[in-house]
Amino acid sequence: MFLHNIKYELLTALRTKDLIFWLILFPILLGLFFKFAFDGIYEQVTQFSTIDTAVVDETDDTAFRSVIESVETQGKPLLNVVYTDREEAKKMLMDGDVKGIIYTGDELSLSVAENGIDQTTLKFFVEKYNLNSRIIKRTAEKDPAEAAKAAAVLSETADAVKEIPLTDGNTDNFIQYFYNLLAMVALFGSTVGLHISNVNQANLSAIGARKNCSPTPKSTGISAALMSSYIIETLCMILSVTYLRFVLGIDFGERLHLVYLSAAVSGTVGVSLGFCLGSLGSLNENAKTGISITLSLFLCFLSGLMVGNMKTIMAQKLPWFNKVNPAAVISDSFYCLNMYSDYERFTEKIITMLVMSAALALLGFFMTRRKKYASL
Amino acid sequence: MENTVVKIENLVKRYGDLIALDHLDLEIKRGEVLGLLGPNGSGKTTTINCLLSLLAFNKGRIEIFGKEMSPVAYDIKKNIGIIMQNVAVFDELTVYENIDYFCGLYITDKAKRKQYVEEAIHFTGLEEFLKFYPKKLSGGLLRRLNIACGIAHKPELIILDEPTVAVDPQSRNKILEGIQQLNRDGATIIYTSHYMEEVEQICTRIAIMDKGRKIAEGTKDELKRMIKNTETITIEVIGLSDADRSVVAGLPHVYDTAYDGSKLTIYCSGGKHNLIRILGVLQERELSFGRVYTELPTLNDVFLEITGKALRDKEE
Repeated sequence: MFLHNIKYELLTALRTKDLIFWLILFPILLGLFFKFAFDGIYEQVTQFSTIDTAVVDETDDTAFRSVIESVETQGKPLLNVVYTDREEAKKMLMDGDVKGIIYTGDELSLSVAENGIDQTTLKFFVEKYNLNSRIIKRTAEKDPAEAAKAAAVLSETADAVKEIPLTDGNTDNFIQYFYNLLAMVALFGSTVGLHISNVNQANLSAIGARKNCSPTPKSTGISAALMSSYIIETLCMILSVTYLRFVLGIDFGERLHLVYLSAAVSGTVGVSLGFCLGSLGSLNENAKTGISITLSLFLCFLSGLMVGNMKTIMAQKLPWFNKVNPAAVISDSFYCLNMYSDYERFTEKIITMLVMSAALALLGFFMTRRKKYASL
Repeated sequence: MENTVVKIENLVKRYGDLIALDHLDLEIKRGEVLGLLGPNGSGKTTTINCLLSLLAFNKGRIEIFGKEMSPVAYDIKKNIGIIMQNVAVFDELTVYENIDYFCGLYITDKAKRKQYVEEAIHFTGLEEFLKFYPKKLSGGLLRRLNIACGIAHKPELIILDEPTVAVDPQSRNKILEGIQQLNRDGATIIYTSHYMEEVEQICTRIAIMDKGRKIAEGTKDELKRMIKNTETITIEVIGLSDADRSVVAGLPHVYDTAYDGSKLTIYCSGGKHNLIRILGVLQERELSFGRVYTELPTLNDVFLEITGKALRDKEE
């Protein structure tokens, strides 16, 4: 009887058009949209390229020249310098051949034609150089012997500020959107879950009434429906991860098998959430579907699906919320897997999801356990 | 074998201040087709829902097959078939799959279930629609599928709650014939309806309900004998004076008359040859008349006389 129920629950779910849309087509389309929207932005924003700069060095500042040669970032020279005269430098700036002109003298000065990341970097470099020069000069005036030490300290300070990679994973901030997309697919599993309540409760549907009249215990029917819903949702999650990884080329890091595991577990959270929601009150299934989709999107919004830094804002305003927001927990599980080489945080997220799923399913069972209804 | 299939004693169901079932007693014998007749809101469906243990009730006791009915009385439930007022099938499953699914909730043996499903399909005449989805079926076919899902497991007790609502006359007749066939095959049937013609046609015994109470019970002839009216005669006649009408009203067995300027309606209680006597009076008084109708009392008349209101609204 259990297998008979599972067979038909699976058949029914696989032929439900709403389910195919929300769990398969919608994530595919949204994933595609994200891919087009964010593809390459990360490189543009965070990947450094050498800045073309004109230098008018009328004082023949050898110290400055040696600094220019030594300054580099991410293994590349910071500046691609052209030494020239004022007129030529201005022409190059106007023509867009360089991002700025650095003038040597007592202090460096900078001339730029427009605003931008490169111009800001140049400004920062010039200010830093001038500050360090002043420190060294003042030190030399007081005690010439200390000047060399000061220069060495400043150099060491600069060396100490190094980029230390925490992970071999994908550090692209925009991947957060794809984590949240997966969280959304997981939570949309709630539409499958609330269908369970609808077709098993006599006060919610004629089918529920008919099933309640049969000799099949309600617990058997609901267990079979939950099981088949978990299977369906897991398949949808696997499909989504596979699509994002192998069709859109999203880099989820080295441990893809654990990404699949996390996806499968997160799917059960969505189904259980829907089952629990469906068991509340006697609204019809369409109304409850609307509520569940809205709630899923809202939780995903708070987790950063629509606004990237929303999760950070929530962490500042309501620190506990991200620990109980299923969308945040789900997206964090993918994040932990990608960002941290150890399994501590990932395991914590998986356990949180399992506890959430079990608690919601038990609550749903508790609410649907009643045998008779006050009204139908 | 226990002869009483269903026994309802002193059943009370309240929705707040509203009494939906008011100390209802009902007994259904094996092999009967019991009609629960009453207007909308009279308590028919509430009775069925209480009977099936779907609905909690405030007072009373329900026994089916000699055992107390409860939500976990699975041994009782396996012998009950239910055809709901609302069609209860999955839109995502085909005709065959729907019948197989619901039959599978009762019958675990695969071979036996296959046989039962095929018999139900044959019984409801759905052979040509096995791969159809419910949304592709007409209203009548959908109702037949609903019935097939309810009877495929060959229950001893079949409960049909207004199964012909919104069904065309041809499909309705097929459904009613099918119910009679199920009864001939041995099933005890409870049939609720507010269509008195259907109840008269198929039920061996009728319980009339109003405001949650059983107001009359018996065979259709027994019920009709309970009321004063035995014959209603309608005659098209123009120019009837009050004096003429008084003469007609004074005839033996005539207990009431009504005249609207073109039709004279005469209500008779008992007696034979009432029509001949009335027409004789009209001829004596040289009144020309047109068409003449005579009607035996219906269950509506029974309901009207007992409650003072019609059984169903005109638009129904």
